[in-house]
This record gives sequence, C-alpha cells and structure tokens, in this order.
Amino acid sequence: MTATDAKGAGAQGRARHLDLKVLGPILALLALILVGALLNANFLSMGNITNVLSRSAFIGIIAVGMTFVITAGGLDLSVGSMAAFIAGLMILVMNGLLPTMGPGWPLVFVGMTTALVAGVAAGFINGFLVTTMRIEAFIVTLGTMGIYRSLVTWLADGGTLSLDFGMRSVIRPIYYDGILGISWPIIVFALVAIAGEVVMRRAAFGRHAAAIGSNDQVARYSSVNVNRVRLLTFVFLGLLVGVATIMYVPRLGSASSSTGLLWELEAIAAVIIGGTMLKGGFGRVWGTVIGVLILSLIDNILNLTDGVSPYLNGAIQGVIIILAVILQRDRKAGA
Amino acid sequence: MRHLAYAALAATLAMPAAAQETQVIGISIPAATHGWAGGMNYHAQEAVDRLEGVYPQLDFVLATASDPAKQVNDIEDMLATRDIDALVVLPFESEPLTGPVAAVADAGKWVTVVDRGLAQEGIEDLYVAGDNPGFGRVAGEYMVSAMPDGGQIVALRGIPTTIDNERVEGFQQAIEGSGIEILGMEHGNWNRDDSFTVMQDFLSKYPQIDAVWASDDDMAIGVLAAIEAAGRDDVQFVLGGAGMKEMIQRTAENDPMVPANVTYPPSMIATAIELTAVGLTSNAPVSGEFVIGSVLVTPENAADYYFPDSPF
Amino acid sequence: MKLSLRNIDRSFGAVQVLHDVTLDLHPGEVHALIGENGAGKSTTMKIMSGYLAPTSGEVLLDDRPVAFASSEAAEAHGVVLIHQEFNLAELLTVEQNIFLGHELKRGPFLDIRAMRERTRHLLDRLDCHVAPDAVVRDISNPDKQMVEIAKALSRDARVLIMDEPTAVLTEREAEVLFSQISRLRAEGVAILFTSHKLDEVKRISDRVTVLRDGHVVAQAMTQAMTEDEMATAMVGRDVSSLYPERAAPVGGEIVLTVEGLTVPGHARDVSFDLHRGEILGIAGLIGSGRTETMEGLVGLRAATGTVRVEGRAIRRDRPRAALDAGIAYLTEDRKERGLLLDKSMRENLTLQSLRDFTRVLIDEAAEDRALDQAIADFDIRAPHRAVEVGNLSGGNQQKLLLAKTMLADPQIVIIDEPTRGIDIGTKKQIYEFIHGLVARGKSVIVISSEMQEVIGLADRVLVMRQGRLAGELSRPDINEDRIVRLAMGLDGVRGAA
Repeated sequence: MTATDAKGAGAQGRARHLDLKVLGPILALLALILVGALLNANFLSMGNITNVLSRSAFIGIIAVGMTFVITAGGLDLSVGSMAAFIAGLMILVMNGLLPTMGPGWPLVFVGMTTALVAGVAAGFINGFLVTTMRIEAFIVTLGTMGIYRSLVTWLADGGTLSLDFGMRSVIRPIYYDGILGISWPIIVFALVAIAGEVVMRRAAFGRHAAAIGSNDQVARYSSVNVNRVRLLTFVFLGLLVGVATIMYVPRLGSASSSTGLLWELEAIAAVIIGGTMLKGGFGRVWGTVIGVLILSLIDNILNLTDGVSPYLNGAIQGVIIILAVILQRDRKAGA
Repeated sequence: MRHLAYAALAATLAMPAAAQETQVIGISIPAATHGWAGGMNYHAQEAVDRLEGVYPQLDFVLATASDPAKQVNDIEDMLATRDIDALVVLPFESEPLTGPVAAVADAGKWVTVVDRGLAQEGIEDLYVAGDNPGFGRVAGEYMVSAMPDGGQIVALRGIPTTIDNERVEGFQQAIEGSGIEILGMEHGNWNRDDSFTVMQDFLSKYPQIDAVWASDDDMAIGVLAAIEAAGRDDVQFVLGGAGMKEMIQRTAENDPMVPANVTYPPSMIATAIELTAVGLTSNAPVSGEFVIGSVLVTPENAADYYFPDSPF
Repeated sequence: MKLSLRNIDRSFGAVQVLHDVTLDLHPGEVHALIGENGAGKSTTMKIMSGYLAPTSGEVLLDDRPVAFASSEAAEAHGVVLIHQEFNLAELLTVEQNIFLGHELKRGPFLDIRAMRERTRHLLDRLDCHVAPDAVVRDISNPDKQMVEIAKALSRDARVLIMDEPTAVLTEREAEVLFSQISRLRAEGVAILFTSHKLDEVKRISDRVTVLRDGHVVAQAMTQAMTEDEMATAMVGRDVSSLYPERAAPVGGEIVLTVEGLTVPGHARDVSFDLHRGEILGIAGLIGSGRTETMEGLVGLRAATGTVRVEGRAIRRDRPRAALDAGIAYLTEDRKERGLLLDKSMRENLTLQSLRDFTRVLIDEAAEDRALDQAIADFDIRAPHRAVEVGNLSGGNQQKLLLAKTMLADPQIVIIDEPTRGIDIGTKKQIYEFIHGLVARGKSVIVISSEMQEVIGLADRVLVMRQGRLAGELSRPDINEDRIVRLAMGLDGVRGAA
C-alpha cells in the first residue's frame, strides 16, 4: 500500500469510526430536551433556559478544568470543598475590608482577586503533592477535600458565613445581571468552555496532557516536562474553582459547610459522560459541557414534572448517566 | 417549657456539690453539616464549657460524627475507653444507633436521647425531644390564618427522613379543608443551593404561587433569592422554620416576605446536657420525656428568640 | 499430534491478509515461519491457536477438521501460543503462574505441595533452575520464557507455537532456549516459531515456511535453503548486502565529549568522544548498563559527570535540555516509552517537537504535511492515517519512532536497539537511513544486542561490562571474538581512547 492509498482509506475509516462516540452524548442531550419540552410547556421558555444554564455554570466551569486533570491521568476530589473554602474566604475578606474600603466595586475586585489567588494556591498544593511528592492524586485530593471542608466549617463556626448586607446589592449583579439578556455566569461558562476546548485540541498543553494520560513514560522520553504539565492541570483547575466561586458567592451571599457538597462527583460525572476517559489519555471539553447540561437538565425536568416520586430522583439520574456512557461504548468496541 | 428546665436547674445549683468521685458524661452528636446542626454544636460546646465550671466533679466528652457508622464507633469508644457514667446522644438515624445505645443502657449507664427517638421504646432514661408534628402543625396553622380565603402554595422538604415526614404530615393535617392547595413539593435537603434550584423550577412551572412553606430557614434563604431573581410579585410570603437568627431579625423588622417563623431550637441539646448533669449530681427527678414545643415567632415576640451570639 | 492449515484465507474488513495458506506441523519437528512484518505471521499463528477464526479454509488436528472457538478451546486440545510479550503475572510466583486458572486442589483448598512438586518437575525437564517460589518479576527474560513453556507443558501442550521467542533474549540466553527446543522436539512436541534472525532459523528448524503479503512463497526443509534464499523469498528481491557501504569518511571534529558519567547503580565513570559523521557502536551483555548510561547522558536518569556538545557543557536537569543541545535518544522500548499506542501517527510524530508546530495554537495543517513527509521519507505503511499506532506492525512503529526523533533535527542521535523485532527488509531500510544520517554530517550512537548489527554498522565500538567501559575497538579490529571477550571480561585491554 502506498502513502496515497493510506490517505484515501484514512478519511473514510475515520468518518465511520467517529460517528457514535461523538454523537452519543449529543443524542442523550437532545433526547432529554425533547422529553422536557413534551412534559412541560415552560421548559423551553427563556426564563427556564437561563435558569438551567446559569446554575450549570459553577459545576461547568469546574468540570472544564477537571477535564484537563483527568485527561492527564489525574483526579481531583477536593474541588467541592475547595469552592466552599474559597467562598468562605472571599466573604470573610470582603466583610473584613468593608469598614475601611466601603461597599463598591474596588472591594468586589479585592474579593475576586482573593478567590483567584486562593484557587491557584489550592490547585498548586494539590499538584505539588501529586507531582513532586509523588502521592496518588486520589489520596492527595481526598485529604485536601477533608481539610478544606473542615476549614470552612471552622471559619463559619459550624454555621453560615454571610456577606455583609451592604455588599450584597453591589455584588449581586455578577450572578443575576448580564449583557443582552444573557447572564454573566452563562457568558463566563461559555468563554471558559471555548477557551478550554481550544487549549485541549489546538494547544501544546492539551496535547501534552493527553500524551501524559496515555503513557507518561512515552511523554517523558519525548522531552515533555511531565511534572510541570501535571502540576499546571491542577493549578488551572484551582483557578477555575476560583472563577466558579466568584459566580457563586453573589447568588446567595453566603457560604457554609454544605456549600459545594458533592460538586466534585458531579464534575467528574459530567467529564466522563462527555466522553473523556477516566483513566486519562483522551479528553474533550465540549463533551464535558454537554455532560454538565445533561446533569442539570435531569434535575430541572424532574422538578418540572409531576408523577415521579422525588425519592426516585437519584435513581433516574443514575440511569441516565449510565445510559449516556453506554451510548459511547462504540469507542471501545471499535478499538 | 424551656424556662421550666432552667428553673429546675437553678434549684439544684443552690445545693452544695457533694464531695464525690469524678463522673463522666459522654455527648455524641452529628457534625455541623448544616445550619441547624451548626447551632446545635455551638450550644453543646457552650453548655459543656459552662457546666464544667459549675460541676467540678463532672467531666464531659464531646464527639461529633459525620455519619451514623462513625457515631456508633464514638459511642462504643466512650463506653470502652472513657468509662462514661451517662450518655447524651442525638442519634444520626434511629435504627443504626438503637443497638449501641441500648448496650450503654444495659451497662447500667444513664442515657439521655435528644431530638430523634430510638427505634425501640424504653431504652433511655430521659428523652428531650423536639416536636416535629407540632412544628408542621404550627406552620400549617399560621398559613391558614394568613390566608383565610385559601391559596396556592409550594412546599420544600428536607432530607428524606422521619423528621421530615412527621413535619409534612403535621402541616398537611393543619391545612386540611382550609382551601390552601399544595401545588408541588420537592426536596431542598435543608440546603440553600438545592432550594434555590428547586424554587427556580417551581417558579417556571407555576405561574401563580401565593406563598411558600420552606420549612427551614436555610431553605427559605434560597427560596427568597430565587423569587427575587425571578422578579415575581405573586408570592406574598415565605415561611421558614427553626429560628435562624438572620430570619428572626427580618421578622422582627417587619419584613413582609418573612412575617413569621416556627422554632425548633438547636439549644435543646443544652437542655439535655444540663438535665443529665442534674440527674447525675442530685436527687432531683429528671427521668421521663421532655418535649420542647415549637412556637410561632411573629414580629411581636421575635426579640425573645433572637440570639446574636449563636452561629445559627 | 499433527496440526495442519488447509487453504486458509483471512480478511479484516475489506483487507485480505492471508491467501490460501497451507502448512503442516509434524510431531517432533521444529517449523520456522518467517516473513517481513505484516506478511501475515501473527494472523497465521492466531488462527492455529484459536485466537482468530479463518474466513475460509480448514484447521486440521491429526487430519480431522477442528474449529477452535477460543484460545482456551485450542489449549484444551493441546495447542498453545506463547506470545512475544510474556503473558505472566509479574507479582505472582513461578508456580502460581504455571497453574494460574488450572490450580490443583485438594477438597476446597489449593494443593500447594503438589503444584510445587509438578512445577519443579516441569522446570527440571526444561533444565531450568529457577525456584518455583521465585516471583516472576525478579527472574530473567529467558527464565520467563521457560516459565511460559512450562506453563504450556503443564497443560499437556503437544503443539507449541512461539512468536519470536528470541527477540528479547541475548545470544547466550537464546542458546539455552534452543537446547530446550531440541529437548521438546525429542519428546515429540510439534513446534512452530517465528524469528527475524535467519541464522537461528537455519540452525534450529527442520522445516521453513516463508510468507510474503499473506501468501506462502516458499516451503522447504531448512537444509535445502540458504539464508540468502530465505531473505530473498521474504523480501521478493535480493538482500544479500544488508549493511550499506560506508559512503562518506568520518569527520575529525569531536561533537560530543562525555567525562566521568556515573549513573548510580548502573554505570560508573564512563568517558568517551564522538566525532562528526561517526557511527559509534555500544556493545555488551544485557544488564551491562548500556541503556542506563545513555539515559543518564540525556537526563532521563539521575547521573553525575560532564557532557559537552561541541565544547559546551549541557545541563541535564530539564527534560528538553539534551534535545535543545541537539542530542536525541531513541528508546529500545518503543511500545512503553517510544510511542503512544492509542494515539494516531500524527500526534505521535510531532509529540517531541510540538513547539515547532505551535505559535499560539498547533498548526494541524503543518503537522499533516510533516506526516506526509515522514510517510514518504521513512516508507511507513499504515492501513489509514487515523490508525492507532498500536495497530501498526513493529517495523512501521520503529520507522515512525525514527521519524518522530528526526523531526527535532538532532545533530547526535542515540538509537537503542534500532531493529529489535523487525523484519529483514525493514532492517535494511533502517541501516540505510542511519548511513544517510552520517552522510549528512550527523553523528549516531547505536546500542545493540545483535553482534552482527554492531559489527556491520559501527566505525568504532565501545564494549560495556558491569557498568564500566571494558574496551574500545576500531574498524579493522571490530569482530565478534574481540567484542565477546571484552563483554565477558576475558580481555581487559583498553584500546587507545
């Protein structure tokens, strides 16, 4: 066979090969939208769509970062606790500076910077322990998960940290307002997702992350700085947890030990539903976005529908998650 | 009833503490995973600190558990290694804790059960309980009085548990025949974020909602935020519960959206610890059942239920 | 027991990989199956041992048709395939591996004593002295091979099929294997093996079948064919001169100076020079520290000592430092360290030089052009461009790995086992490629366990023994005898260096 033959056969083989694994999550999402529209007329209303997309934003922004960590063969269980801790810290800093700075955008800016810096620092700690100290990501982040959760409970003295009332009206627009009728969380989520998709597919960083997840020895022997890329995936995720927290705090203006509970599992589930491999080596950000939407649509549809016992919500979610993954099984069979 | 307990306590305090050996009271409670539990943890710690000064002959061992299995371990450890003379326990769940607590009672120790009853009757010496059906009933009766002509409401439930079921049944009985219709009921899990989401969806689903029974102040905060964000003015008020200080404050300030509250005081743990201490150190009879009723808080009496130092 | 294939065809999708293959394995006979990579050897062996079913044609056992539903079914009939990559549980003991899935039991419990007894008996029969309770991870490659064979024998194998059994063995280790094969032959076992080493085929096989492009192109008693005839049949053209003639002279300029390189636990105080346009061979037994020395040199292992490229000392603490200084190292372990088997050729090709294809984003069109160029330059044969690299034959993987390394445009290329597990036609291509490199003024270091390869390629040879340089040989003195004496420590005289 010559090189030219190879090209022709390649194009066809690839097209056939891609179909189901690409369409799987999309089909699941479309099916859900269809079911939702049939069950309730308000489902496709602007208000409901805005609600669903805005509330998806926290998990969604985090899940984009999680896609990189998982693609590089890692895992981060600490993101939910990290978000709670950062939210608590952000509120404490803003409350503490309120008497000196007064309510206003400079103080909001300080709060945002706090969240981003804390996120990067927390991500760096996870990444440092995983790479330099060579501890399993599962164990490291299980540990930090407990640490951040305890810290926020301690900061809140077992109760709830609430943003000072004077600040709330200033910061509220970050969640509730937007431009052209699209709320800020949706805009930020979209920007993060697009940037993530481009980085994953077209930047050396994404390619290196996938190479490391596929076989870190090969990456090392190919002069890739394995530790640095791994560390950066955690730092990147920490930064995005900070971004998500900036969106979260304005919504209710409070943080407690129950903030961000189980976000890590929702984010990981969204990543896997989207077609990223849990063992690493292959990731796609757009799939993660679809995974996040699937998860929040399930909740939304169950709330909008009568006839299903709320006790069964978890079961229905579980079934749909598993179905969405089964739909992509073709990947494995084809390999 | 709360005042009664303090009166009894004051009486015993006057008695000189007899010179006797150190006695140990073990306290096992769920960890501060939500607002009410946070308040309960605060009151437990506060009671321990105070009583250690009052009763030099008493030692206190406080353990918080994040799940029922951990709580069972805590209790077994207390019995085996701390040699407790009395146990004050707020069971995470009734069934799994019944056996271990019964073992403590069988060992001849004093047992005080708080809030959540055990699955088997007669194990405990003292039962300090919140009134869950009463909590729902008081809320329901307030709804009926606030909407004499009936109306359409939605309700948010807590984490699926016996407590939640009893409250909802009490509420439903109280509004029966009043013309108040419950459009929908979903679990907000005593969590602000979950209740925010559920309320957003209720608002999409029902064009006209007259009032909301949020059944808990954490959930009420999420519900209020969702209503405000949607800009809906059909909802006249939101009724929470448990008496979180921020919400009591809003009631006291005549906030029309938060006209009332129903108490379910987390300080009942302090009552239980104090009564147990009294039982151990004196001859005052404290065994039996001690029900702490749920009280309706309105702007008129809100000041009596506002505790600015509590985290809850 | 006699195993026969009659008129076997086999297709994968639209591609037919076997055409009308007929061959017989007789009891007490060693049958060599040879052919280039992709000629259909693996498919033939898999059909014999029940891993694949033929598209048409018959498998006969003692002249009666059988259809193995699975490899287990074939094993039940006494037909066992031993894979090139050992199929052993590394953390279990020899005995546990041999009885894995077929444990002997007494009542509900494992009969460990009986299993140990039988294991000892089987290993004795193979003249293998490894302990039954040794953990497989800790034993040598030839011992692992023996354990595989013992495992097969424990299942009463009467037909033993071995996929390149000597590929991972040194020549001395291979000798041990050959004597075991003779022993099994004497016991009446029918044996089929594949090998790229024609001298081996000539020595130990009784009968040889040559495959080319899925067709049987020659079948004869081994003594009736010369090695040249075998090679010609495999390639379809004359390959008598495997090693190209040296075209350009070695330059005088020293491009690489290594001084006192020590890799803890593997190599001590290694010093040498490399000239522009030179092919430097590194010989030595497996375990003599050749690979580790080179990995230390490029910074893949912790090492001390100085490495200078054109007089400038290079750092070794950053992954790209060696590459930036112009040194590329091509690993011996292409499956675990060289290539991402679950990725496409394009992603593998550019992984090491991704920087050159990236401004802000990766230029995929440029990548595609680079792949076109690599496919043409290195004659990489793939069913289609999106194929996962793990599905390429060993030779094509090696060519892709070469292409990947050369994409970084190194001045000094260190190639560890350039032709391991590769057919003779591809070998010749790779040798020509190496000569092409030095002709263009680049310098090459070749590590090889194949004596002929070192002798055929190198201008100068360094022999390593127990982590140290045991000696250096230059052109007229490079011969098998001198290398072996140095490698075995029989001849400690160092050449002029």
